[in-house]
Amino acid sequence: MSDEPLLVDVREGVAWLTMNRPKVLNGLDSALTRALWHAFESVEEDPAVRAVVLTGNGRAFNAGADISLLQKLATSGERPGEVVARAMDAEFNPMMRALGAIRKPVIARVNGPAAGGGASLALACDIVVAARSAYFQLTFGPNLGIVPDIGGSWLFPRGGSRARALGLSLTAERLSAPDAAACGLIWSCVADDLLDAEVGKLAKRFASGPTLAYGLIKELLDESATNSLDHQLRLERDFQRAAGSSADFAEGVAAFLGKRQPVFKGR
Amino acid sequence: MSYKHILAEHRDGVCRITLNRPERLNAFAGMMPLEIKAAIETAEHDPEVRVIAITGAGRGFCAGADLDSSGPKKDGPRDAGSVLETAYNPMIKAMRDCRKPMVAVVNGPCAGAGMSLALACDIIIAAKSAIFMQAFCNIGLVPDAGSTWYLPRQIGRARALGMALLGGKVTADEAADWGMIWKAVDDDRLQAESEAILTKLASGPTVGLGLIRRAIHASFGNRLSDQLDLERDSQRIAGSTADFAEGVSAFLQKRQARFRGA
Repeated sequence: MSDEPLLVDVREGVAWLTMNRPKVLNGLDSALTRALWHAFESVEEDPAVRAVVLTGNGRAFNAGADISLLQKLATSGERPGEVVARAMDAEFNPMMRALGAIRKPVIARVNGPAAGGGASLALACDIVVAARSAYFQLTFGPNLGIVPDIGGSWLFPRGGSRARALGLSLTAERLSAPDAAACGLIWSCVADDLLDAEVGKLAKRFASGPTLAYGLIKELLDESATNSLDHQLRLERDFQRAAGSSADFAEGVAAFLGKRQPVFKGR
Repeated sequence: MSYKHILAEHRDGVCRITLNRPERLNAFAGMMPLEIKAAIETAEHDPEVRVIAITGAGRGFCAGADLDSSGPKKDGPRDAGSVLETAYNPMIKAMRDCRKPMVAVVNGPCAGAGMSLALACDIIIAAKSAIFMQAFCNIGLVPDAGSTWYLPRQIGRARALGMALLGGKVTADEAADWGMIWKAVDDDRLQAESEAILTKLASGPTVGLGLIRRAIHASFGNRLSDQLDLERDSQRIAGSTADFAEGVSAFLQKRQARFRGA
């Protein structure tokens, strides 16, 4: 297998992105972060891609910041906080913004532990499917004396519970995949040996769905977080105007009335 | 007042609004959302009404927009945004602004904008056979009529995305488990359980209940500091009602309070 930090495979409308640093639990170093950033931009621009799957090679999904970054901090001679903030501006946050800007469904195939920034990375995807043996852990504060980052402090409270977000951030206790699904922090959890079948099924479905509407739905739900109801109603009106003018809507209605399966083109 | 697509009746402090197109699972037709809006506003201004219930006639609650009457027109694409502007959004805003508690009694399938109608109520009680569905993406549309505001606030981002992008069915039991609705009950208990809730709310301190629904709504956009101010202002109003005086004396005398809704 290639030793590229990120493997990219586009087939049948689905871009499979596999983080490929298994020996270090796919820790985010500069090379992997930049590769993810680039890949997120590429899949957004590629009209042949209608769904994205993000996963990890080996036994982990992603263990967060790579140890090499921490070692660099200790020897840099600069104030560590400055180095961290600069790296976030230069690489980590642009990578996360590129992920958020993908107007196609993104599935996180969480094959194993998602810790620290790896947990943020998983939750920033649209549909998170985790293997039963996986877990989520916000290692930042209790273990390292830093704060949840690359979106963690935004994404975790949006699992629906302030109490749980605080508990996970302040204790760094592991949240098992079944518990994460039961509390609504992720979409679903399946037996380890069923992970591929489940993710494959979802990816196939998304790749033949109404891509334009999917992108609008994602943006609506992101905007919802900080909008008033009035503002959100206006946004829904505008987006419905756009979706209602799509070829896919015409097909969807025709299929519904004709009692057949729609054949969406994604536009 | 009589309507074409709904029934509205007032009895024992309860205004019951029944969506009445059972042959179409009560799907929204024409200006039906404006009839619901009018019925809600009439009930709000009627001092005899202290709670508003919404339910569906027949075996469905509401199947959403009726595609037979809202699909693309033969002579070109229909503006799917304009009917939201003129009918659905005014209905949802009237529900948001209502100063009386609102209960959705979900007797059967609840989909699309019909689900938005239920979500905009304060208490949702559903028969276990009912299902909830964000069906929009199945025809290439986006969730509307407030769904994208209410849903993530009730079930979180992950489940809201899952329902909106996958368009699948969620059972009433799942919905209750997720906190999307207040309660799922056996079908043959829906009538009795919903009546108990309506009776309780119809004999409650209506002014206070209206302030509560306003405060909970506002909390989603407020900083804690602003919310503390709103609670102070709300309590000033609630604390000046006859119902508060009655509540205190009933408490001190160890008897049930008899609220009059003022």
